[in-house]
Amino acid sequence: MNETAAVFARGLTRSFGERRAVHGLDLDLPLGQCLGLLGPNGAGKSTTVRMLSSLLSPSSGEVRVLGLDPVADRDRLRRRIGVVPQELALYEHLTGRENLAFFGRLSGLGGGELRAAVDRGLQLAGLTDRAGERVKKYSGGMKRRLNVAVALLHRPQLVFLDEPTVGIDPQSRNRIFEVVEELRREGTAMIYTSHQLGEVERLCDRILILDRGTPVAVGTLEELEYHPDVPRSGGLTLRFEGDEGARRALALCEREGLACKVEAERPGLEEVFLALTGRELRDGGDA
Amino acid sequence: MSAWTLTRKDLAIYFRDPVGLALGLALPVALATVFGFAMGAVGGEEAAPRVRLYVEDHDRSPASEALLQALSEQEVLRIRTIDLDDDEERSARDRVAGGDGPAALVIPAGFAGAEGRALAFYRDPAKAVELQLITASLVPALFQARGEELALRAMQRGLDGFALSEVGKERAGQVLEETWSRISALRQEHAAADGEAHAFDLGSFLPSVLGLEVEDVVGDGKADANRMGAQSHSVSGIAVMMLLFGLVACGGTLLEEEAQGTLDRLRLSMGGSGSILAGKFLFAWMIGLVQLALLFAYGAWLFDVPIFRSPLALTVLSASVSAAATGFGILFAVLCRSRSQLEGLSTLVILTMSALGGSWWPLSMAPDWYQFLGHFTLTAWAMDGFQGIFWYGKDLTGILTEIGVLLAIAVLTSSAAAWVWSRRQGRA
Repeated sequence: MNETAAVFARGLTRSFGERRAVHGLDLDLPLGQCLGLLGPNGAGKSTTVRMLSSLLSPSSGEVRVLGLDPVADRDRLRRRIGVVPQELALYEHLTGRENLAFFGRLSGLGGGELRAAVDRGLQLAGLTDRAGERVKKYSGGMKRRLNVAVALLHRPQLVFLDEPTVGIDPQSRNRIFEVVEELRREGTAMIYTSHQLGEVERLCDRILILDRGTPVAVGTLEELEYHPDVPRSGGLTLRFEGDEGARRALALCEREGLACKVEAERPGLEEVFLALTGRELRDGGDA
Repeated sequence: MSAWTLTRKDLAIYFRDPVGLALGLALPVALATVFGFAMGAVGGEEAAPRVRLYVEDHDRSPASEALLQALSEQEVLRIRTIDLDDDEERSARDRVAGGDGPAALVIPAGFAGAEGRALAFYRDPAKAVELQLITASLVPALFQARGEELALRAMQRGLDGFALSEVGKERAGQVLEETWSRISALRQEHAAADGEAHAFDLGSFLPSVLGLEVEDVVGDGKADANRMGAQSHSVSGIAVMMLLFGLVACGGTLLEEEAQGTLDRLRLSMGGSGSILAGKFLFAWMIGLVQLALLFAYGAWLFDVPIFRSPLALTVLSASVSAAATGFGILFAVLCRSRSQLEGLSTLVILTMSALGGSWWPLSMAPDWYQFLGHFTLTAWAMDGFQGIFWYGKDLTGILTEIGVLLAIAVLTSSAAAWVWSRRQGRA
């Protein structure tokens, strides 16, 4: 077992009665990396996250998270991890600041350290200007950002993000991406589950695909693209910076009698949307 | 420490939620008011529930009018006099036979005459409770209105017990009548200083004639002591019942945390799940104290509930009742899987406990087996304790048994809740 691994699991299994939600999962996540967890509904993503974050005991298998046993060392582990749940796990009758302060206190923060953590959380969520409002008045995007900020209050070494961008506007999603990228730069390990494949492609170093509770593939995006079970069209892509290179390559292909085509790279709808509406947050929160 | 943080959070949310506040604090106050008034807790004239009595006065004499007046002064009776001149109106007897009321009294012509015709009393045997109340009021009314005649008649009947010969009986009767006539004449002659010849109220001195010395040993000798007893019972009863509802709702916040996903976050942040349960217990217990304090303060203001008779006993008992109700509420919350399950089950159990435990009526009115069964509920022990303080003026030492039982209930239910909770968390 690698002592520097954020997550190490072998044969991780969890059953609910007769049903096996996760079966024989092997997993290695080095510190500082982000692992994307993909799979259709019911694939076992959330069960995996709950087992690794000590919320659910495995039925069998070996697992270490940050070098700790999630069952035996549960309390020590919980102080070192952060979990962004799929639900908006917030108190609607409390303000954004009160939510952060409450969870900060529970995490053992106090005094100036707590105040600093709360201010940092508000800034991170882009909610400094709306900190005194009750959460029930927040938009969906604001709640999602606060949901992320709560999990990061105590600067965890490993963060689990379970579909953190469900149902929000592109600006809020973009802010969450920025937060995740910042965490990656700081060396925080992450496990990121989503149905948005583009998010995983953008944010994760490696990807694990689960289906019916069983891992079907793991690797970098490139490794997965060359997975033997993935059918390939046979076409290859050349990338050019600027028009001149593309024109000369096209001329060469024509001279050699090779079939090829030139297409300008398109920005994608989200890039179009953000370019036209701006990247700043639109819910009255600070950018 | 983390339990207290959770408690503070729950208190903040509780006092910011207008619906929760209305259900937790305003509703008990409203119910206590309704029950208080319904039980005749306010105003001397409405001091007790009233029972209808139909009356026909065929005698229309000063004596029958005096009887009607005495009847109308009885607190529990609502007299409905039948208009004999109205041909359309049904007779008092027909009304009772038709189910319109529990009883009717007919004063026959000649009631006040020398022949002294007997009153007719018609009753509906199915209405036993109302009949008891009517009978209990009829006797003092007759003593008050017809005391003189009844006293003479009692003495005449008493002569029969001496087994005198016919001649002896006749002579003794003559002596009695002569003596009574003289006393009546003296009574007219030496009327009270205010110059009025007061009615001869047999009931007021009958106990001394019978050799009874009557003393009210509770109620501080106050004229409206019976009203105070009803007041303190209805306020205590509503307080205990609503406390159970309120604290089950507080315990139900555990299920809310689970449903909205914050429970996992608490488990991750608070370490052991026991702290979560402790935080919820503390929160519910404090809300229970606030509820009781509010209701008793309101009861003291509106219904004169004597909350300052033994402040220490009341404080300790309230804390114990709140602890027992909290344990009960938390146990229900961890046993149920959803809020709707909790509400359905707890409503059923709390209403049953309230009926059995004496929240709605004094257990002393119920049969022995009912009282025995009632004491398997925390309601009965709480009611015994509160009535002990408010009505019987007991201090802390006088209600130690009730406090002990309530604390035992608190420990048992809380321990059971902790056990169920830890098993549920372990399975998760």
